[in-house]
Amino acid sequence: MSESRRRVVFVVGSGRSGTSTVAGALQALGMHVPQPEVRADETNPKGFAESRWVVDLHHELLQRCHVQVSDARPSAWYETGKAIASGITRARLTEWMGPQFKEAQVTELGEEPAIDELVIKDPRLAWFLGLWKSAALRCDAQAAHVTMLRHVTEVVGSKKRYYAPGPSVISRRGSAFSEVQRTAAWVNMMLHTERATRDGKRAFVRYDDLLSDWTVPVFRLGQELDLEAVKAASANDIRKVHQFIDPDLKRVQTTWDEIEVPARLRELAEETWRGLSKLAEPGGDTPDVHALLDEVREAYIAFYDEAEAVAQSSVVAARREGRQQALDERPPTPEGFGVRARRKIRRTLGQ
Amino acid sequence: MSDPDPADFPIHWAWEDGPLTPGLTCVFRVKNEARNLPWVLPPMFDAVQHVVLVDNGSDDGTADIAQRVAEEHGAADRFTLAHYPFQVARAGAEHLHTPPDSVHSLTYFYNWSFSHVRTSYSMKWDGDMVLTAEGVELLRDLSWQLEDSNAVVAVPRHPMSVESESVAWLDLGYRFLEPWVYPMGPEFTFVKAFEWEVREFPSTSERIVAPEGMCVELKWLDQDEFAHWSDTVFDPVRTPRKARELEVMKALHESRGHEIEGLKRIEAPAGVHVVDYVTKQWMQLEPRPLTLRLELQEQGG
Repeated sequence: MSESRRRVVFVVGSGRSGTSTVAGALQALGMHVPQPEVRADETNPKGFAESRWVVDLHHELLQRCHVQVSDARPSAWYETGKAIASGITRARLTEWMGPQFKEAQVTELGEEPAIDELVIKDPRLAWFLGLWKSAALRCDAQAAHVTMLRHVTEVVGSKKRYYAPGPSVISRRGSAFSEVQRTAAWVNMMLHTERATRDGKRAFVRYDDLLSDWTVPVFRLGQELDLEAVKAASANDIRKVHQFIDPDLKRVQTTWDEIEVPARLRELAEETWRGLSKLAEPGGDTPDVHALLDEVREAYIAFYDEAEAVAQSSVVAARREGRQQALDERPPTPEGFGVRARRKIRRTLGQ
Repeated sequence: MSDPDPADFPIHWAWEDGPLTPGLTCVFRVKNEARNLPWVLPPMFDAVQHVVLVDNGSDDGTADIAQRVAEEHGAADRFTLAHYPFQVARAGAEHLHTPPDSVHSLTYFYNWSFSHVRTSYSMKWDGDMVLTAEGVELLRDLSWQLEDSNAVVAVPRHPMSVESESVAWLDLGYRFLEPWVYPMGPEFTFVKAFEWEVREFPSTSERIVAPEGMCVELKWLDQDEFAHWSDTVFDPVRTPRKARELEVMKALHESRGHEIEGLKRIEAPAGVHVVDYVTKQWMQLEPRPLTLRLELQEQGG
């Protein structure tokens, strides 16, 4: 019904999949990343294009739901879903998002253009898409999702390289565990992100396509998601993106030969990748592919339930260990009121 | 034509035959809702995987309208139309005196209607409740997030009295909250209460409360909204919601809408029907909190 020019692009996908690159490219073309941003570091020297407020909020909500950024549990979506239904949190997001849009104005420093198009990006974002869709609606903005696709082995390899502790800290068994966990978390994240964005405006971009010639996928985003900043990009804007995107970015090229995961998980990850890749083809976002991905999602849930049941003893042992650790770390309690009161009564009675 | 045979309307639950398919089915039990369905059904088709509509003896073309809307919306393959030919006791005293296993009982009627559900989650919905744009998004998400959670979801609704194509009165005085979304299974069937039916759920089920602004309940000022009640003398303690609705309706009929605390007059822009305006635009842009939450004793439905 609304003819609003406001747009919000939510950039989702697993971390280390080029989410910063695509968000940064949209920013260079004139879309607004709400400030202040998270500072660049050695894992992402060109910056993250992530708003500090957004990251802090997601961090707080994930902690409250007991969900990790890379969480392999299918039930984690229910946990974050409960947070999404909160009227208070919805109002909080809307209050923050509203003032990010601005009318054009003339100030002492000159003319400031209007801000009609935002980019919101954070690796934790997929867990809370419902909240953001609601905020966009309440701000009269059209929401669109861009999902970055990178093969799971490269994501796991990249995470291993940039996030993992050194070999002296982690045992070989521990390293294999983290590869399995990261692969499972990727499957969980990608399948459910696809499900969460299915009914809205969306686009899928392959990491390889973005790095080999970014103009093709980014032009398509402008057209399909109706982004004025992209459609009206000037030569200077285009130059900025060329300077921003580092063609040597693809520094990690890991294959299954270097990753040790159970055969069934590998199959599920490959089926997920094949399905998602179809969605990235022009005209590929079809009900047939959705049905295929639903089947993979069901198979993953069954696989996870089985693994969880097998590992119950480890869960119980970890819980006991944690409880004991908490008891050991508890500071010594001062004498209780009851003990002091009894002593005082004895003294009074001269006992 | 011979009278319908109750034996032809047994309650057979889908879970008895095997696992249910993932997703959410919305169940409408309706009588003479032809006027509302063109507003009610399209957003519901956008929100859930399947819609079951059980017509209970309408004479205003409800079933035909529902089928037509489903087809026009490209959702005919996700739509089940059923007919329940028995007269069902009206809420209130009539219901109280009808045994729950009678085909004339609201309890039996609800269980029979819900026995058409094939998905793991179901939702009871009224033929006059219109989802807002945000409500559609919320249900879309819940339809896959709930899956095996066993949680029930309560959704606040806002009664809206339509005065004309461009003017309506939205009751924002109270938060009318009722659980609507339930898992399917033997622990989640309907049982008899005093005035109407209630749906059972185990004490271990989590309860999720949806935010305000997800749906409006249509009432037309040119229609008798209380025809389905066996009397219109409401006990404000047992049925506070109905007592409030009657108070609002009387005030609007007497052009005293402005005197009622929490009742908001909304005028749509030219060329836009007020129902479309409120559900697709106004509700999203209105600052929160929406309702005043005046003191009112609320009974769960």
